[in-house]
Amino acid sequence: MKAAPNLALFEKAMLPHLDAAYNLARWLTRNEDDAQDVVQEAYLRAFHFFDGFRGGDGRAWLLAVVRNTALTWLRRERGSTHVSFDEEMHVPAAAAATVETKLVEGAKFAELRNCLDLLPLEFREAVVMRELEEMPYRDIAEAASVPIGTVMSRLSRARQRLQDCLAARLREASE
Amino acid sequence: MTCAPVKSLLEPYLDEELDAVQRAQVAEHLAACGSCAEMHARLLELRTAIRAHAPYYRAPASLPQRIRFSLRQANRPAAGPWRRIAIAAAILLSASAAWNVALFRWHTSHADLIAQNVLSSHVRSLMGAHLLDVPSSDRHTVKPWFNGKLDFSPNVRDLAAQGFPLIGGRMDYVDDRPVAVLVYQRRQHVVNLFTWPAAASAGKEFSRNGYQAAGWNTGGMAYWAISDIGAAELRQFESLYKQ
Repeated sequence: MKAAPNLALFEKAMLPHLDAAYNLARWLTRNEDDAQDVVQEAYLRAFHFFDGFRGGDGRAWLLAVVRNTALTWLRRERGSTHVSFDEEMHVPAAAAATVETKLVEGAKFAELRNCLDLLPLEFREAVVMRELEEMPYRDIAEAASVPIGTVMSRLSRARQRLQDCLAARLREASE
Repeated sequence: MTCAPVKSLLEPYLDEELDAVQRAQVAEHLAACGSCAEMHARLLELRTAIRAHAPYYRAPASLPQRIRFSLRQANRPAAGPWRRIAIAAAILLSASAAWNVALFRWHTSHADLIAQNVLSSHVRSLMGAHLLDVPSSDRHTVKPWFNGKLDFSPNVRDLAAQGFPLIGGRMDYVDDRPVAVLVYQRRQHVVNLFTWPAAASAGKEFSRNGYQAAGWNTGGMAYWAISDIGAAELRQFESLYKQ
């Protein structure tokens, strides 16, 4: 029989990364309740696979589990992963309401969040891990299970899209 | 360095992923080249905007506890204190034939039988078979769950603010009848609160094998609270619940 991982060790190593886990899950699922369920499930999975954790950066290791759990979750809940790389930037109906809004801080906040939410999942997670978690490329690559070069190109394309999206929103708002 | 290589290095430069030599080369170029400096400024501006305006969602305060609890549920048969409880329970159950007379020399009065039911139900619930039918910290979810399953409606109280968060409820069988069990948590410990309609019959405390139990009657209902927390804490739970 396989020995169960040590729960106390697991909690000591992984619970400090709970905010990082939740933040990523929240950005991926775009929903508070789903994010909580995803994080809970991810911790159970992570505990199950804790023997496979060889030390190193616990956050990147945990976020890889959170990410996989979230992808499975989205697939199950919505019938598809909805990971699209279409070049067309869709402007949601909600954006129309902000057209007349002056670009005060509150609006900028909303615009930025909208633009981030519009990014394809792979781009969004790269930005969240780089800019909000301030993770190095190496850790993002581990969490997303891709080579570092892919992280760099995703980040670059994500930034380009964000700049375009924000510029378009600003133009609309000032017209 | 010319513009072409610098442009491909601007983001790694921004992300502090370059070695010292490359970093110095890019910085030198930026100081001299207006168009690259502008690209860099726009990237920096985007970063500032993201960090200032994109929310960092912190985990809700209830989430750590929820996760700790689910980990313990999952881990129960295999490790830590749960293993000891499971082993103790297995030993107790295997000795169930000798349970009342030989092991504890309990009197077989009615009240003692109930106490015995409560204790064995508590131990069984910790073995992983059946702790929660309705896992929820919301009393407005737990209370209605019993509708139609019991001929009474238990008084479900939320004591989270007092350090005894509700984690759910289940049905069980005590005193030859179905009863409601409200499950509370105290740190890592489970408190099972049994309740059913009854005239005065409880009203006592006992302590067996590391478990504390307290029984009381109010409003035509019998209550038994049982846990492995200390007697003082269990009395605190009782008085909080009665308030």
